[in-house]
Amino acid sequence: MTVFHFFNCAILTFGPHAVYYSATPLSEYDTLWTSIRAAVVYLVTALVKLVCLATFLNVSDSDTFDPYQELLKALFGFIDVAGLYFALTQLTHRNISQNHKFQAVGLGWAFADSVLHRLAPLWVGARGLEFTWDYIFQGLEANANLVFSISLAALGSLIWLRKNKPKTLIPIIYACAGIVATMPSITSYLRRGLGWHLPKVVGFELFSSLLIAFISWQLFVACQRPSN
Amino acid sequence: MANCQRRPAPLDPIYYPLLTLLFILFTCVDLYDAVTVVDVYRLVQFDISSVPFGSRLATLNHHAASSLFGSDLSRSVIILPVRELDLDLIKEYIGQGKLLGGLLLLLPPHFSPEKVDAAVGIDEDFDLLRNKVSELERLLIHANIPYPVYFAFENDDINAVLDEVKRNDASGQPATATTGGYKLLVAASDPKKIASPTITNIQGWLPGLKLEGDSTQLPTIAIVASYDTFGVAPALSVGSDSNGSGVVALLEIARLFSILYSNPKTRGRYNLLFGLTSGGPYNYNGTQKWLRSFDQRLRESIDYAICLNSLGSLGNELHLHISKPPENKYIQQIFQGLSSVAEESGLQVGLKHKKINISSPRVAWEHEQFSRLRLTAATISELSTAPELLESTGSLSDNRHSVSEASVIRSVKVVAESVARHIYSQEGKGTNIFADNSSLAVNPSYVRSWLNLLSTTSRVAPFLSKNDPLIMALQKELADHTTEVSIQHETLDGTFTFYDSISGRLHVYQVVSVTFDLLLLLVLGSYLITLFSFLIITTRGLDDLISLFRRPPSR
Repeated sequence: MTVFHFFNCAILTFGPHAVYYSATPLSEYDTLWTSIRAAVVYLVTALVKLVCLATFLNVSDSDTFDPYQELLKALFGFIDVAGLYFALTQLTHRNISQNHKFQAVGLGWAFADSVLHRLAPLWVGARGLEFTWDYIFQGLEANANLVFSISLAALGSLIWLRKNKPKTLIPIIYACAGIVATMPSITSYLRRGLGWHLPKVVGFELFSSLLIAFISWQLFVACQRPSN
Repeated sequence: MANCQRRPAPLDPIYYPLLTLLFILFTCVDLYDAVTVVDVYRLVQFDISSVPFGSRLATLNHHAASSLFGSDLSRSVIILPVRELDLDLIKEYIGQGKLLGGLLLLLPPHFSPEKVDAAVGIDEDFDLLRNKVSELERLLIHANIPYPVYFAFENDDINAVLDEVKRNDASGQPATATTGGYKLLVAASDPKKIASPTITNIQGWLPGLKLEGDSTQLPTIAIVASYDTFGVAPALSVGSDSNGSGVVALLEIARLFSILYSNPKTRGRYNLLFGLTSGGPYNYNGTQKWLRSFDQRLRESIDYAICLNSLGSLGNELHLHISKPPENKYIQQIFQGLSSVAEESGLQVGLKHKKINISSPRVAWEHEQFSRLRLTAATISELSTAPELLESTGSLSDNRHSVSEASVIRSVKVVAESVARHIYSQEGKGTNIFADNSSLAVNPSYVRSWLNLLSTTSRVAPFLSKNDPLIMALQKELADHTTEVSIQHETLDGTFTFYDSISGRLHVYQVVSVTFDLLLLLVLGSYLITLFSFLIITTRGLDDLISLFRRPPSR
């Protein structure tokens, strides 16, 4: 029965990635390699971030919110952005339209993130006899994370790959990108500083991910209009 | 990329049932904390002449239930607090041999052997509870129970689990595989017979003063106590009174006499033999084997033996149990000696005569083993009647709180004084050898520390290995007080067979029902299908979605 639960949580955590790949035109244009390369870049970025965090951060046992530590963590979060930049611009892609590029990169990024952060706890924990809601919430978080990654990739591609952007929209684009990049710090502040419980935090993540997705979609459409 | 903004109309109605399903899911299972783990102690499993007794299984893996009423309890573990136990119901249940998945009995925390320091007020409720526990023990020891029975101590975690189980049962939703609830798991291997259980006798010898040129054997006085116990839960059988108090008394008497005998000027003209025997609950099997191992000279030199049994409860009466007729002059001598000393301490000593039946294997008192070999012996005990087989040998309620240090000290004084007066021929002369506030006074902290130690060590003989720390400790202590210590390892009488696995850890899991898992699968499946359809429609158009279901035209 508990392997059943593991299976359920696994399809909640990793299913949407597979569904996204097969449902959108990504599968038609064979962008699998792009996603895989983006996943590898994520792995390298995660490693670099780990080393930096280990070197500069002092680990405290208490679960309280320390502004200085959180600021440091947010700064290191921008290493993520650098990694994404690298994936978007430097990797040689075959002639894939920009639309598909950012989606593939975002997908690969989110998939690597889910596997790295959520597979191990799932395998170890969800197969036990004891039932907790944690793994289901973790799956929902993975879904929110997918939307965030694709939005960030979209905003990133807007910033770095699109040359002619309407001047008014540029600050909004940068602002949105900044919010998405610091989202991990925001959620950890909510969890520790304000003491929100897991369901509330996950709810907030889902809601904000949909909001950001909508905003970045609108921005993308707006930036596309001049070239149309 | 086609930017379709229209909301796909046919999908809307699906969302509402999905939401209600999710809501039902959330209310089905309460959010709860992680696993609870408790130490549990198994009911003893033994055979007497191949007749099985006790609980015959050890592995437990069933859902929890809280009452004996209910359908199909053969796949549930019933959790019953002993405080609220209905003895008649249990008797009926066990007597009729009804099958359960398992039984978990919760004992109040002050029965725990580890709670040595907590003071317990002696009140009526406590006495009633002790009687209830004794009756329960008697019932369980003499029954053959084909499912696992475990004892545990109440604590906050397990009480919370029990409350929750009671609530679920009351609402008509008993825990089974299809409805979820709590699952109790004790991982244990099949209980195996303990092959050749050893019983270990420890003896200490204090030789008396032999004058030069005197080749005759000095007479010997033996002081004996059996140190092992037997109870309904072997891991909890500490037997503070039966017979921890006897062991402590023996050690203290040995210590006092070793002081006297260390100086040749005060050494008596009697040898002293101290014996800590095992196998007490099993018709004093160890004593019998120990006596059989004596050589002829030693056996002939024994003047008399005093056996100590249960000296720890408050009361003003001690009983001297004998099997030789009371008119026997040696018995009278011992009795007079004891009475006169006892009177000085405000105690009464009564004489109780019980004939021994040579043909019956039942040996109710330790002195009977001596009497069978025609040696003069008597047992001093607070118990007035002979206990039945496997009773009064370390029950659950016999822990540190049921023993009074003052009683033990008083008994030590009486026995030691009467023996010493006999050795030094001081009867009736008004001397007080072990007077209070002298260097030979009974040491209360010695008594207290040994009582505490014995009250936290379970001592069921088949589960004590040859080199058990307790046996080593007793040996070392006797070696401190006597000149010669020897250990004798024997095998327990074959009529008693014991099985291992006396304790374990109980894991309590909150599990969900199969329906929950299936429901969740349904929800997730529909979520993924919805997501798929949504993405296809928004990125490729509705036509593509429909074309997925239409067979491609044959080429």
